[in-house]
Amino acid sequence: MTTADATAAATTPPQRGWRYHLRHQTRWSRGHLLAGVAVNLFFFAGTIAVLSSYGWSRVCPPDATRIECSPSDPLALGLQSADLRLVLQISIVLGAMVALAGVFTYRRMPTRSAREAVINAAVLATQPVFLAALLLWFQGTDVDRFARNFLNLSLIGRKAGVAWDDFMAELPTILGTSLVWGTVAAGLTAAYVYWRKLGRRPIVIAAIAGLAGGFIWGVVQIAKAPSFIKGMQNTLVLSGAGAALGFGLGLVLALFTMSKRAVVRTPARIYINFFRGTPLIWQISFAGIGLVPALRLGLDMYTIAILVLGLNLAAYSAEVYRAGIQSLERGQIEAARTVGLTYFQSMRYVVVPQAIRRVIPPLLNEFVILIKDTALVSVLGLTVAEKELLGIGRDIYQSTFDATAWLGSALGYLIITIPMIRIVTIVERRMRSGLTSVIG
Amino acid sequence: MNSDGSLIRLEGIHKWFGDNHVLRGIDLSITPGGVVVVIGPSGSGKSTLLRTINMLEEPTEGKVFFDGAEITDIRTDLDEVRTHMGMVFQQFNLFPHLTVMGNITLALLKVLKLTKEQAEERAREELNHVGLAEKDFAYPSQLSGGQQQRVAIARALAMRPKAMLFDEVTSALDPELVGEVLQVMRRLASEGMTMAVVTHEMGFAREVGTRLIFMDHGTIVEDGDPRQIFADPQQERTKAFLRQVL
Repeated sequence: MTTADATAAATTPPQRGWRYHLRHQTRWSRGHLLAGVAVNLFFFAGTIAVLSSYGWSRVCPPDATRIECSPSDPLALGLQSADLRLVLQISIVLGAMVALAGVFTYRRMPTRSAREAVINAAVLATQPVFLAALLLWFQGTDVDRFARNFLNLSLIGRKAGVAWDDFMAELPTILGTSLVWGTVAAGLTAAYVYWRKLGRRPIVIAAIAGLAGGFIWGVVQIAKAPSFIKGMQNTLVLSGAGAALGFGLGLVLALFTMSKRAVVRTPARIYINFFRGTPLIWQISFAGIGLVPALRLGLDMYTIAILVLGLNLAAYSAEVYRAGIQSLERGQIEAARTVGLTYFQSMRYVVVPQAIRRVIPPLLNEFVILIKDTALVSVLGLTVAEKELLGIGRDIYQSTFDATAWLGSALGYLIITIPMIRIVTIVERRMRSGLTSVIG
Repeated sequence: MNSDGSLIRLEGIHKWFGDNHVLRGIDLSITPGGVVVVIGPSGSGKSTLLRTINMLEEPTEGKVFFDGAEITDIRTDLDEVRTHMGMVFQQFNLFPHLTVMGNITLALLKVLKLTKEQAEERAREELNHVGLAEKDFAYPSQLSGGQQQRVAIARALAMRPKAMLFDEVTSALDPELVGEVLQVMRRLASEGMTMAVVTHEMGFAREVGTRLIFMDHGTIVEDGDPRQIFADPQQERTKAFLRQVL
């Protein structure tokens, strides 16, 4: 090795990827890790295999009562079976053994990598122990009744809004829409990026967002009215429109609350305290059932729902903006004023752009909360086509007396919120790592 | 210019922060081209004095005149006045979301309404002036403290001000970076810029200042030629302070 190589080697940080850790295992630690993973595999695969062998649902004759025949019968049988009990018992014993073995040996591992592997395996092995114990306890309860009420999984598929065959038939159209959206989004972003001389990353993000958006749009187009997909659509429209109103109005309110003049500050504070101090469900009911009909404003319930959600979000986001703006050093606005910018120019070009970057993660959090809060608009009498996820779930429950509908609603919310929560996490991580911009 | 030939004139300035009487009757005139250096122990009101000159702090009592107009008059357009008075801060206060170029051109575009080309040309000129021509598209976070402070000076100079206010501009810098900033200020003084400088750099005060002001407890204790004051201070408090810092 030449001197130059030696210097270069010394300046690159040591790579400690999974390959490194794999090289620094002992025979015991490697076997232990495998055992930890294997116990998990045994528990999950075993449970699914047993349940699958009994079946997940079945078709009942239309005139059969729920007691005579329920679509959930095979699942209930599987859950109560001795086969499943055996799988669960073995999982508990094996899991406990691996966990205990880990506890007593991790200190003797010669390398940090080996020790970490043993600790991880031990923790991993406790997971099937707890889950299997839970399922064992569940076996001793009234599984039949629970399954009849909550586990008619076919209901969710039936009420999704788009039958599988229709979906396959329409797939070319949907993919076409998706492609058009993706291309347009990428094209527009590319033009903007070229104009502002930014990196390539925003184009990729826009393309993916466009493709996904087009796909979702295509599916929504063929969905039938009282269904989970329609419910998701309405949940998204309600929260999206509410957010547009709320985030805009919130910024104005925030600026008002920071005014040095009490006559500007006070009305904004009263507004914020009112909307933060009363329950959202009261605000929705009061506007929809009381105020709007009484004043003959002639707004339909859907518009009222969006307005109240937006006005409510404005109050909460105003506090977030205010915190963001006040977190900036005083010197920023002083510097802006000393070069001759007016107060509004200082806000517009110096303070707000910096504050917005800081408050994007908390604002996204408010948005996730808003998505869930759309459930409260179900107190308004929305039409079938306007119902959001919770309203849909309740409708389906009331027409079928099948509580699995609630499960469908929950699934719909998770499909929307989990990507949002992921985005918040990613944005927060990027901001923490010192990058001030969100994209690019 | 004011009626008495000065560019900046303070008359009977008092400033209270709550019950804290920070400035206790300051009278001060600064002639065009003068470099007035203000020294004094911390808490003596030096920075507050400087900040009343461009009305970042409104004096509780007293009048401030700048270039023939009373700017403490409520009818004065302070935004317009401030375009003729540059200020540089201890903490630089560059806008972190804008490049060096963006920092300098912002006010040129939005206040002076220059075209983008004119603004960028002027920004380049000022960056050359402070020796940072090659840093035009860097972000403030990518610069050293000394470089950031020079950009802040360029940002102020780009407005072509009649006077510059410097508020402890080297106090937040590492010792080895102080020199490059003082160098820029020295050149600015030699070019005839009217300057008011609050500083702890006694060497700079002696060498560059045309007039030295020693403040304590919100009053001007001693006022005169820097060399003379450093060599032979007249007041006991000045003597005590100089003994401590020199």
